[in-house]
Amino acid sequence: MPPELIQAPFEVYRYEPGVDPAPRYSHFTLELPPHTPVLTALLKIRDELDPSLTLRYSCRSAICGSCAMLVNSKSRLACKTQIGPEVARHGKIVIDPMRNLPVLRDLVTEMNGFWDRYRRLEPALRPNPDRPMPVGQPNPMTPEQVDRFMETPRCIACAACYSACPAVEADPEFPGPMALAKLYRFVVDPRDGAPRERLLKIQSEGLWLCLRCHLCTEACPKDVRPSERIRDLKEMANRARDPSEAGSRHSVAFKENIRSKGILDEFKLARQTLNPVQLLESLPQGFKIRAKKPEVTKTPKPIRNLEEVQKLYELLDSSGSEEEAP
Amino acid sequence: MQRHDVIVVGAGLAGQRAALAAIHAGVDVGLVSKLHPLRSHSGAAQGGINAAVGAEDSVETHIYDTVKGSDYLGDQDAIEFFCHEAGPTVVEMEHFGTIFSRAPDGSLARRPFGGAGFPRTIYAADRTGLALLQALYERLGTERFTVYEEWQLTRIVVSGGRVQGIVAYDRRRGDLAEIGAKAVIIATGPAGRIYGRTTNAHACTGDGVAIAYRAGALLKDMEFVQFHPTALLDSGILITEGARGEGGILKNSHDERFMTRYAPHVMDLASRDVVSRAIVTEVQEGRGFPDGSVHLELMHLGREMIESRLQEICDFSRDFAGIDPVTQPIPVTPAQHYMMGGIGTTTRGETNVPGLYAAGEAACVSIHGANRLGGNSLLETLVFGKQAGEAAAEYARKTGPSELADTDLDEVTGVVHGMSDRADGADPARLRTEMQSCMDRWVGIYRRPEELAQAARTLLDLKERFRSVHVADRSSVYNVNLTDALETGHMIDLAEVIVAGAIARTESRGAHARVDYPRRDDTNWMKHTMAQSTPEGPALSYAPVAFTRWEPKERVY
Repeated sequence: MPPELIQAPFEVYRYEPGVDPAPRYSHFTLELPPHTPVLTALLKIRDELDPSLTLRYSCRSAICGSCAMLVNSKSRLACKTQIGPEVARHGKIVIDPMRNLPVLRDLVTEMNGFWDRYRRLEPALRPNPDRPMPVGQPNPMTPEQVDRFMETPRCIACAACYSACPAVEADPEFPGPMALAKLYRFVVDPRDGAPRERLLKIQSEGLWLCLRCHLCTEACPKDVRPSERIRDLKEMANRARDPSEAGSRHSVAFKENIRSKGILDEFKLARQTLNPVQLLESLPQGFKIRAKKPEVTKTPKPIRNLEEVQKLYELLDSSGSEEEAP
Repeated sequence: MQRHDVIVVGAGLAGQRAALAAIHAGVDVGLVSKLHPLRSHSGAAQGGINAAVGAEDSVETHIYDTVKGSDYLGDQDAIEFFCHEAGPTVVEMEHFGTIFSRAPDGSLARRPFGGAGFPRTIYAADRTGLALLQALYERLGTERFTVYEEWQLTRIVVSGGRVQGIVAYDRRRGDLAEIGAKAVIIATGPAGRIYGRTTNAHACTGDGVAIAYRAGALLKDMEFVQFHPTALLDSGILITEGARGEGGILKNSHDERFMTRYAPHVMDLASRDVVSRAIVTEVQEGRGFPDGSVHLELMHLGREMIESRLQEICDFSRDFAGIDPVTQPIPVTPAQHYMMGGIGTTTRGETNVPGLYAAGEAACVSIHGANRLGGNSLLETLVFGKQAGEAAAEYARKTGPSELADTDLDEVTGVVHGMSDRADGADPARLRTEMQSCMDRWVGIYRRPEELAQAARTLLDLKERFRSVHVADRSSVYNVNLTDALETGHMIDLAEVIVAGAIARTESRGAHARVDYPRRDDTNWMKHTMAQSTPEGPALSYAPVAFTRWEPKERVY
């Protein structure tokens, strides 16, 4: 019984900077079974229609991380994305190179920025002078301790998260979701000698620049859930020492604000988050906001049923957090 | 021109471990890899790494299982050394930061694997290779050395009776460059893409093995090609032996657990050659499913166990086959998986060419002999990667500076430009596809003399057509068309050696099963095949197998 075939119209980004005047799209239409991976289709195009189509690929089983690209505008692994649902939803398959990385040619990007950010976090176990490795024996570690790594060991460094991240686009200082998930992996490792130093350092090196949009988690083909690991890092960072960065003060102030009134006191939030210099600098913006929305600068009254909110806080506090500060 | 004491080619586990050892020995190291190191195929290894660390297990049993698994073609002195290194190697990787799965008491968790007397395979869920690769990469990253990332080896320069360096192609810029080295370590891994149906990544094209062969290195036991019993039907994507180690069973279309007939004692956990032949036999005798598969059943293990210990397998089956292993059997058939053969080396990674070393799947020590046991290849990369790194550093320290003339660079440049300058010629993708279907059809699990002869003729024809291979893409940036052509040339050379060895070896041993010679022939064939490159094709000679304490016996599982 021959498998059912579908028409899959492809529009593939083509560009060689310095050679081509501008990016363009090549059009190909293939007839393939709907479960065909996008990578298989692109390699078929390479082998049979256009050998100059340029992309990175290797394992074709979502473990080497080579083939991340935009499939109908979403950061995806081409090998793990099937053509059927894409055609059904969009009528065609538009392929672009990843975002936030300069194009070398077609779908191949220069990834140095991605790797540099990862290396900057010093991703290697640091010796613990108080607890040397047992001689000739593995470190004991329980299954529960292994579970604390969460999904981070699954990361294949494909950079789909980095491509999907608006904070990376907006701020060159932001380490990006993958690097932070990697950092988390070292912070929770009972063998690492410097988890506290790592947490304190990242406080001022971009941890709080995450926008909590969760697009990284949505893009991740390995379910690493980088945004959840960034959230965990923030919680651990706040517990590691008194909130010092604007970002960490903001998160603590936000929480206490709601706890005391059940509604956000924006003006108070700003005062609790920013230092005096930052406050002065933001005065013009403050006046603008007041002109448009005067209610923001008024101190709000506690909501009715405040006790309900406070009960929720009590519940949250008593349940504790999974992540303890090292 | 760049110069290093030691150049390591390939940045998977063997290459990185070799680089680390050479750096620790105090020499200057260059690491050349056509992929970013974290993209290496070592990361795709799923099941685990063997070390006899359990109280009930022993190094002695590991040695015996490996000797038996090799169908007595493994060198016993090398196997003894290898198994003794297993424990310390795993401990070192744990100290480097590998996140292994754990038993409730905090020790390293172990699972049973094929051909092993005890649960001996230490693992990190079903992504052990990735866990090791990440930890080693991160450890190596704390050292000082030079990385040539996305540079592809095109030639090993040998003159004056020793290695002088390499010529390599920068994939991102299109430059060819000569890099001087006193010693070169080849750790370029598998060549599985010689076959169409393979578990191997697209990058596994045997570049280093073919280039070492052209540089005069002897290739050993190349006819022994491992077919993994359980690969997904359409894509050939690997389903780890760990799935059977955790209790998965194989069934035919009569709902029979057919391995009871082929390996009554250990059934689904017999060694890979045995299970692969059993599957092919079932299908050929009409007990396969209509799509030509048999079924791997995991359903009885329960959702929690499947989703925690076989997480990647779950994803693979769902994403690439549309099968949920929690509720459905997985249709599988064998696929090319591993080359037991490779560049012939000593246990220190030395080859017959002074200054040339090899380790990992690219090498053949031989510890796997005619059939490799699951869980031994990750161990091999680390044990012999370290040995090769130390030996190459030692050699480099007592060797004078490399001397390079531009002859080799000019020659390679001429060849590469010739491929794109000619107006027309053979399409590399077409040659590759024809080679792959030739090997799939005629050089598979069961080998017939007339089919092997047909394969040899086809390969000669492909080799001839390759002389006029035409690269249509003229760009200097990331020219995959060009690297595809170079790789196809490498693979055709290696395929020729595989077929020559298979035609000559008139016996059945391990993974080499000749239908016209169904029995092992220790009188005539207890020896390693050694292939040397000549203008007329591979010239075969034979070398003795090293025996210490284990007398050959019939293999029963």
